[in-house]
Amino acid sequence: MSEKAKYEAGFGSDALKDPQRIVFITKKTSAKVKGDVGRQVMSFPHVILREAIAFQVLTIVLVAIALFWDAPLEQLANPLLTPNPAKAPWYFLGLQELLHYFPPVVGGVLIPTLVVVALIVIPYFNVNIEGAPLWAARRGRRFPLVVGTVVALLAILVAYQAWTVIAPTVLVAGGVLLSNFLSPGQGRLADFLRARPLPWWVMTWFIAVALTLTIVGTFFRGPGWSWIWPWR
Amino acid sequence: MATTWTQQTLNHLRRTRAWKSIFRRGPARTNRTRSLAIFGNIFLHVLPVKVREKSLRLRATYYLGSFSFFLFVVLTVTGVLLMFYYHPAVPEAYRDMKDLRFVVANGVFLRNLHRLAAQVMVAAVFWHMFHVFFRGGYKPPHEFNWVVGVGLLLVTLFLSYTGYLLPWDQLAFWAITVGTNIISYVPILGHPIRFLLLGGNIIGENALLRFYVLHCVILPLAAVILIAVHFWRIQKDGGLTVREDHERKG
Amino acid sequence: MSSSDTPSEKPGQQNPEAEAEVTRRDFLNEIAAAALGVAGLGATVVTIKYLSPNVLFEPPTQFRAGSPDDFPVNSVTFIRDQEVYVVRTLAGFYAVSAVCTHLGCITQWKPEDDQIECPCHGSKFTREGTKIAGPAPRPLPHFALRLTADGQLLVDKLETVKETQVLKV
Repeated sequence: MSEKAKYEAGFGSDALKDPQRIVFITKKTSAKVKGDVGRQVMSFPHVILREAIAFQVLTIVLVAIALFWDAPLEQLANPLLTPNPAKAPWYFLGLQELLHYFPPVVGGVLIPTLVVVALIVIPYFNVNIEGAPLWAARRGRRFPLVVGTVVALLAILVAYQAWTVIAPTVLVAGGVLLSNFLSPGQGRLADFLRARPLPWWVMTWFIAVALTLTIVGTFFRGPGWSWIWPWR
Repeated sequence: MATTWTQQTLNHLRRTRAWKSIFRRGPARTNRTRSLAIFGNIFLHVLPVKVREKSLRLRATYYLGSFSFFLFVVLTVTGVLLMFYYHPAVPEAYRDMKDLRFVVANGVFLRNLHRLAAQVMVAAVFWHMFHVFFRGGYKPPHEFNWVVGVGLLLVTLFLSYTGYLLPWDQLAFWAITVGTNIISYVPILGHPIRFLLLGGNIIGENALLRFYVLHCVILPLAAVILIAVHFWRIQKDGGLTVREDHERKG
Repeated sequence: MSSSDTPSEKPGQQNPEAEAEVTRRDFLNEIAAAALGVAGLGATVVTIKYLSPNVLFEPPTQFRAGSPDDFPVNSVTFIRDQEVYVVRTLAGFYAVSAVCTHLGCITQWKPEDDQIECPCHGSKFTREGTKIAGPAPRPLPHFALRLTADGQLLVDKLETVKETQVLKV
């Protein structure tokens, strides 16, 4: 680069002032820049037909169930009489279970807001995009960090006695810590776990907790939100 | 060439002036007319004209996004039909539920279908999100579409939740009581938001009317707009994420 | 409006962005944006005002609970229509809210356990409204209790009082 460049790079949007311009294609501006995309087929009829079939299958299944399974309808709403237990729709029962353990401002406001914010920012953090295995590099620093986070989290949960949150947390935390000590050639599951990145573990933990709370809230909670066994 | 009655009718229709004025293209047998079938159609033009063959595999999507959308279509149709027999008032709302069950022809079926599709849609949207996450579908250049998807998840939940109050039975009333009291724990703005949402301090006629308007007008409109953006961005972001083959072999 | 006629360039500045004068177009754009902002804000405020009802048809907050003689000593009486417990102890009367401070469910008085229980999330309270167990963040509030001129108990649900305050009859 001894020769002086003939052109200067600069920014400008005035076509009258700078009639000759260069377009710089950066990595992330357009997906069309990508090289290999594999074989392509026409959307019509390949996609449209498949979607039409999917729609028909769905409709048939829904109609078949709706013919025999009646939507519930209870007594007329009575503001003076709370049914026992009073349950939200099933997809909010996880939240209701959280509210059983945490103060409302934490369980009802803080945690849901954090979940939504966390979901939104997922694609804007490089750790989620690179997808490098958690224990592939800097193990010595990462391991105590992960252990510390898990212990702190469990300490908070134990302080609130949130047992139905603790159980799935312990399971997933056990998995993430165990995967550090796995070495190649211990079977396919071990290889799979060793290759998991951090976001995979976090999402798995989230799903495990959400699923446990929803199932517990739906089937294992009776009058006064006390623990019951659904088969009794 | 032997042709069926349907094909004959279609061929005949295709030659009419009315058909030509609507479609302005021949039968979709060449790549050109097949492209026109997509981008010459206002409803389909948000979709890409070509897709990667790999993205058609069942394991790539399980059609979860499509199912979520189809459920929304089913809910719109059944919902509009249910509106013909529904008064958002106390206690007419509950009486209308009884009417749907015992008086209106096929009323109970429509309500069952609407309720079932609503429950399944919440599950389908969640499953869709988790599936996209584990396939890495949120990665650039799909970041914004992921955010739109989170918006759609929230709209779906709000739609389901506002619909929950409309039958005005005990189940509805107490689920909404608990839910709206959570709102009042939001620092500073909690009580004003709850007052605005309910149109008062208690869950009464005002609240029912407001939930009805949210459920039948505002939230479906928001959903339609977000769905349009969501589909359109799939195309603009270069199609669905396709996994490289070497990843699968692992 | 003469900003474009009187250039105020500072010599020596390199950044073309910084030394650019405010043109008439820029100025008008700013004015238009500001006007849109004000109009948008105004529309939002007016809409929120419109959506907040000024007159509410809700149950009255003051009610007569009955004559003091209707309540035996050492009893908790649930007044269902008003969601209030009227408690009579040896010291006197007080009124406790029956609405759980957690998420607004109506609590139930369980005489066999001598406590008030919430069916939604399992909060438990004493007859004074103090929390024993569960997620409720606050004790049940006490409402003001007075005697009317004709000797009836009058509860005012808008006015909360200290737990130590009892009405002696």
